[in-house]
Amino acid sequence: MMVQAVAILGDSSAGLDMLRAATASASVGVAGAVLSVFVVLRRWAYLGDGIAHAGFGGIGTAVLLSIAFPSLNNGPAIYLIATVFSLATALAVASISRRRAVSGDAAIGIFVAATLAWGFIAFGIHAHLGRGGPGGWEDYLLGSARGMSSAAAALAVALSAGIVLTVLALHRQIVLYCFDPELAQVTGVPVGLVHYLLILLVALVIIVGMRLSGNLLVPALLVLPGAAGLRVSRSMRVVMAVAIVASVAATVGGTAISRRWEFIAPGPAMVGVLFLEFLAAHFAGGRAKSQYD
Amino acid sequence: MAYPYAAVSEPIVEMSGVDFAYGQRLVLKHISMTVARGTIVGLIGPNGGGKTTLVNLLLGLLTPTRGTVRLCGMPPSAAVRRGDVVGSLPQTPRTPKGFPISVRQLVRLGLVGKLGLLGRETADDLKRVEWLLEKVGIEELADVPIGSLSGGELQRAHIARALAAQPHVLLLDEPTTGIDRVGQDQFIQFLADLKQSLSLTVILVSHDLRTVAAVCDRLACLNVTLHYHDVPGNMPGELAREMFGVDLPEFRLEKMAR
Repeated sequence: MMVQAVAILGDSSAGLDMLRAATASASVGVAGAVLSVFVVLRRWAYLGDGIAHAGFGGIGTAVLLSIAFPSLNNGPAIYLIATVFSLATALAVASISRRRAVSGDAAIGIFVAATLAWGFIAFGIHAHLGRGGPGGWEDYLLGSARGMSSAAAALAVALSAGIVLTVLALHRQIVLYCFDPELAQVTGVPVGLVHYLLILLVALVIIVGMRLSGNLLVPALLVLPGAAGLRVSRSMRVVMAVAIVASVAATVGGTAISRRWEFIAPGPAMVGVLFLEFLAAHFAGGRAKSQYD
Repeated sequence: MAYPYAAVSEPIVEMSGVDFAYGQRLVLKHISMTVARGTIVGLIGPNGGGKTTLVNLLLGLLTPTRGTVRLCGMPPSAAVRRGDVVGSLPQTPRTPKGFPISVRQLVRLGLVGKLGLLGRETADDLKRVEWLLEKVGIEELADVPIGSLSGGELQRAHIARALAAQPHVLLLDEPTTGIDRVGQDQFIQFLADLKQSLSLTVILVSHDLRTVAAVCDRLACLNVTLHYHDVPGNMPGELAREMFGVDLPEFRLEKMAR
């Protein structure tokens, strides 16, 4: 694989393409890892699924709109509409769970089902009108490690950096909120702000990561690294470090695997690596804890 | 290191004509009460008598149906947002076992509200945290993960957390629940020491008359309405028997033996 990677990098255009994908993957990996620790601690593992699958409804909407407005039938437009759909769903879940109209997991379950159903209905209508299936939708579901523009890679890096810097700036409030939201409130933390902000940051990682690892599997970036870190240590710094290393290894490794073996999509490759890392952390963590206790 | 509010004597908590109802069910009726600085008030009463509801009103988590509540002259929600007016120990602090923070980090979390969104702890803040760890007797456990603490140690860590921002008043909601008799006695002694060394203002909620009367300057007896609000020695024996099923003489002897 190393030889192959060097060979790819030797070809300047393929090398640049690989470099862009790897840089974007690594940055999304870091942002996802940092957030994943809080997602697991706050027991929001299912939240990523809800937001990501809302993107599927967004793609369905874009496909239908492209019948009336053919200019929308291109990658960036579809991606933009999926993004708007995901953000709207994130805010809806945040609002419903904050008001406790229904519990958080029920709110996510409702939106996952509704947006998936809408996506499939939209695809059905599109096919019924003789337009066939939407082009390249496998890339949306499973990700693509090829053909990323410099602008898209730069945007991924900038958004990921913004996410990490926001978490760094507000880590005290976020930690206390994840520890106990009510305690955070009576300590004087603006918990409404932290609640919405955290869900918005999760949505941003999903949106940025969707291009690389696909709609179906991008939520794994927000669960597995944190879960692995928390198996290994009870120190926040160590947990974060383990999560970041595991996530970057998986995102960059998954991208490289997908380029080496084209029949493997990057999303499944990343999740495969993450799962192996989690298993290793699980067994290593079990041994460490039994020694500790 | 000293605690700052010992010399001031104005009332810190003022409740005037407060009613609170969950829907149609009136839980608190016409509560009027003041708490002076430097006093420990024991809020006692039977289960379902409205003690935790009253605490939630003081913390701004609930709003009175009628009447006013003031903490240091402010509405509770404004007082809580300042981060240095109220320190609280909830009835059952949710302490996730595997949460990856140390005891010292837990205590520092008590500073977060006071710091504001982008503030950082000052050297004095950090020094105070170390002093509190020592004060509550868990300085040797400062670097230990919170998941390794016993119930009593965790309770001390939470009290240090609640005091980290130097709040004007400390609210303790059923602090001895789930702790055995020996642990309860240690807690009573611990609170008595804190009272002496810090001149704290404390509202101690409990259905355990023994704990409350051992350290409190005043008792507030709550069962929907306030039945009694005075020093412990003046409490009528019938009231204690009626509300708690204990004989006061027996209970006072126990306190004297302490």
